[in-house]
Amino acid sequence: MNSETHEQTIGRRSARIYVPLALGAALMFFLAASLTGDFPMVARFGGAGWVGLLSLIVAMPIVTARLKKSLRHPA
Amino acid sequence: MSTLIHTLNLPVQGMTCASCVAHVEDALKAVPGVTGVVVNLGAQRATLNYDPGRVTVADLTRAVDAVGYRVPTLETVLDVQGMTCASCVGHVERALTDLDGVTAAVVNLGSGTARVTHILDIVAVPALKQAVQASGYTALERSAQVDSLDRERQAREDEIQRQGRNLALAGIIGLVVMLGTFYDMLGPLRAVVPVWLSYKWVIGLLTTPIVLGPGRQFFVNSWKGLKHGVTDMNLLYATGIGAAYGIAVINTLFPQAGFGGEGATFFESAALLTAFILLGRWLEALTRGRTSEAIRKLMKLQPKRARVVRDGQELDIAAEEVQIGDVIQVRPGEGIPVDGQVQDGYSAVDESMLTGESLPVEKKSGDAVIGGTLNKTGAFRFTATRVGKDTALAQIITLVETAQASKAPIQKLADWVAGHFILGVHILSVAVFVFWFFFGYQRFFDPASAFIMSPYSLGEIGVFGFSLLLSVTVLVVSCPCAVGLATPSAMMAGTGKAAEYGVLFKGAEAIENASKLQTIVFDKTGTLTRGEPSVTDLVAMTLPGSLEASEVLRLAAITEKNSEHPLGEAIVQGARGRGLALGDADQFNAIPGHGVEARVNGQAILLGNRKLMRDRQIEFHDLWREAERLEVEGKTVMFVAVDEAAAGLIAVADTLKEHAADAVRRLHALGIETVMITGDNRRTADAIARQVGIDRVLAEVLPQDKAEEIKKLQAQGRQVAMVGDGVNDAPALAQANVGLAIGSGTDVAKETGDVILIKDDIRDVIVALEVARATMRKVKQNLFWAFVYNTLGIPLAAGLFYPFVSLIISPELAGLMMAVSSVSVTLNTLLLKRFTPSIRREPLGSFNPTPLPAPQVVAGVSAK
Repeated sequence: MNSETHEQTIGRRSARIYVPLALGAALMFFLAASLTGDFPMVARFGGAGWVGLLSLIVAMPIVTARLKKSLRHPA
Repeated sequence: MSTLIHTLNLPVQGMTCASCVAHVEDALKAVPGVTGVVVNLGAQRATLNYDPGRVTVADLTRAVDAVGYRVPTLETVLDVQGMTCASCVGHVERALTDLDGVTAAVVNLGSGTARVTHILDIVAVPALKQAVQASGYTALERSAQVDSLDRERQAREDEIQRQGRNLALAGIIGLVVMLGTFYDMLGPLRAVVPVWLSYKWVIGLLTTPIVLGPGRQFFVNSWKGLKHGVTDMNLLYATGIGAAYGIAVINTLFPQAGFGGEGATFFESAALLTAFILLGRWLEALTRGRTSEAIRKLMKLQPKRARVVRDGQELDIAAEEVQIGDVIQVRPGEGIPVDGQVQDGYSAVDESMLTGESLPVEKKSGDAVIGGTLNKTGAFRFTATRVGKDTALAQIITLVETAQASKAPIQKLADWVAGHFILGVHILSVAVFVFWFFFGYQRFFDPASAFIMSPYSLGEIGVFGFSLLLSVTVLVVSCPCAVGLATPSAMMAGTGKAAEYGVLFKGAEAIENASKLQTIVFDKTGTLTRGEPSVTDLVAMTLPGSLEASEVLRLAAITEKNSEHPLGEAIVQGARGRGLALGDADQFNAIPGHGVEARVNGQAILLGNRKLMRDRQIEFHDLWREAERLEVEGKTVMFVAVDEAAAGLIAVADTLKEHAADAVRRLHALGIETVMITGDNRRTADAIARQVGIDRVLAEVLPQDKAEEIKKLQAQGRQVAMVGDGVNDAPALAQANVGLAIGSGTDVAKETGDVILIKDDIRDVIVALEVARATMRKVKQNLFWAFVYNTLGIPLAAGLFYPFVSLIISPELAGLMMAVSSVSVTLNTLLLKRFTPSIRREPLGSFNPTPLPAPQVVAGVSAK
């Protein structure tokens, strides 16, 4: 029971980090596409979505694993 | 309060790649109270230490389940007798659930049954029964019980069936999708393919059940992993399939949305990619089981029934019910159920399945028999001495399982690479997308672009569709599943193959180290030699009236009959071995440090060393020189005088084991330097070394200094193995890079050393080396094949050559390449099953072994 609560805490706290990271990456892509070229709106949104998704996939395990480790071995 | 740490070998199903290994390891390490987690992909097992006071096995299975894998459990139904009320139900349930490895127990008073869900590898049915019996009830197993072997086979067959069903569905529908997609290019085939099959929405409808049916497992498993902060190759598939399918749906429903329109509906990519990944999974499931065939073969050896004689009656009972001390009757052709000692009867037993010994072994009263071996000709009774987990067969199975579950250093590196690979691939995928989106498309896109090996045109595709396609293909082509399989599959096949020949590797590291050996150090006594002195030479005086050699031996043996000296025993054995009748001496007198004297039928016999003869002024003429020659050969010479006249010489020495010289010669052929280590004096050691063909001799080394000598060899930069009997050589065996304990028989659990040679045949050192080298060759080949696909596939998929050829890889072709890489690795491993050690390929004697030193005939006198 306790370990499930612990897992949920880690999940919630890590989501607060990786979701903004992924959204930030998507936003950066969108801004770059809007500022640097004449890309159609769909390509800008689609590209931002894809970059955001891949960034989420990259950030999720890294952030969750780090948080788990830091909670297990508090400095 | 002291804490008792338990070690657990937990079966884990569903792992398909090295990153799965990392996930399961991380999940288990995260459980408080768990340490030393090692997960093996090939063996599908996790080995760990846990504190039962802080964590239960159920917690561990939950941790594994939480990251998307499964600990297989078995449901066993027990008939429980003696329950009378509801509290009995509570007692029995508690007795069962208190056992480690029991995840649930439901007792039904009305039907008198207990339905127990348990992990068979941790708690077997007899333990369940014992727990119930200990709480005051009687438990009997329902007869339809599935045993361990059947369960393992069942699990494998279920997985093959599941992936086979998925593949059939995805393959058949995928083929129809292909026909529809390439309708315009079908030529005369169009007459039989309806045109509506080429409509995008029909193709979309056909693809949907593939993605949401057989392809669902990738999405579910990757989501489970992501939630716990882990990524595996399911994620590569899920993003690949999901992206191809999602874009195709958008382009079909909203062709004007700007994602490439109808010209970029990659439904066939999603369908065929799923089908090819499933093809890889199915073939993997099909072949993976075969690499662990050795364990199944060993498990199969265990006879299920035993004919036990109790109170004068023969009872046919389950083999696991046999207890120590039971007398068991074995008839011709029957398997021997447990280990024991023959009480009466005579037979020949085929032990090849456990020891690799090809000839049946004779068994008579007092001889040991091994459970799992096969009685050939006669009938006999034996007393059970080891049962259950203590039998040789059970110990061998445990040892092979443990070895297969361990990791070689090379595998740890491959796992680390594969584990970090997936995140790297996703980062690369972003980079590829960004490059082609912002730079590549504008600069290099050619409207005449096409997929490799496909007539499909990419002319209408936009910047987003094109960049996405390359990004997805990178994800799909990069799957490191072949990297994860390369080492464990070969290690499993190698350890299994070695076990077939009676060579047990205790771990994958031992195989890797054995493959690199440069020097092998043999202990002399008991390893190269028999360790028992015997008569090697008889030399009689050739003067007129002298005694014959056999008479000299007979008189010496009678004189030594009452002696307890090892040399005396050798002479007595030598005489008996030659069929000489030995009477008794009338008088016997030991001369300490020199010899013995006795009167035999009125003759005065003097037997002893040179000094004794000189003291008594007995002249041996030419035999003095003969004695010196024998002593140079490392033999101990005893002089025999009868009635104060020289009669002859008897030479005694430790003799070589049957195949010692052959083994050393074969090792030289393999490029191995051979060293002999012994406490004997230099002259004796050199003599033995000359007979065997040993390169270097380390003589006069005290037992406690042997490890130091090994260290010195290692300091010269050599990879050293020590071959010894595993008892007094333990420190040297431990110091060596590989310790080989020879002739341990079947009590393998007690042995020191990294490799255990069950038979007392020194040539098994060559078997160990050859199997290790063949296994590591396979590992290297597998890693080459695994990496070559990724090394070639990733630049192709990322569009590195696109500016020059205007061709890119389709996601489905990337999926096929990935599947082929896994299958080629597994098939390559299966080739190891054909491996035969050189000593089995060549008929006995074809290697021209050095003849054994036999009793010599000198001066024309027969030794008989």
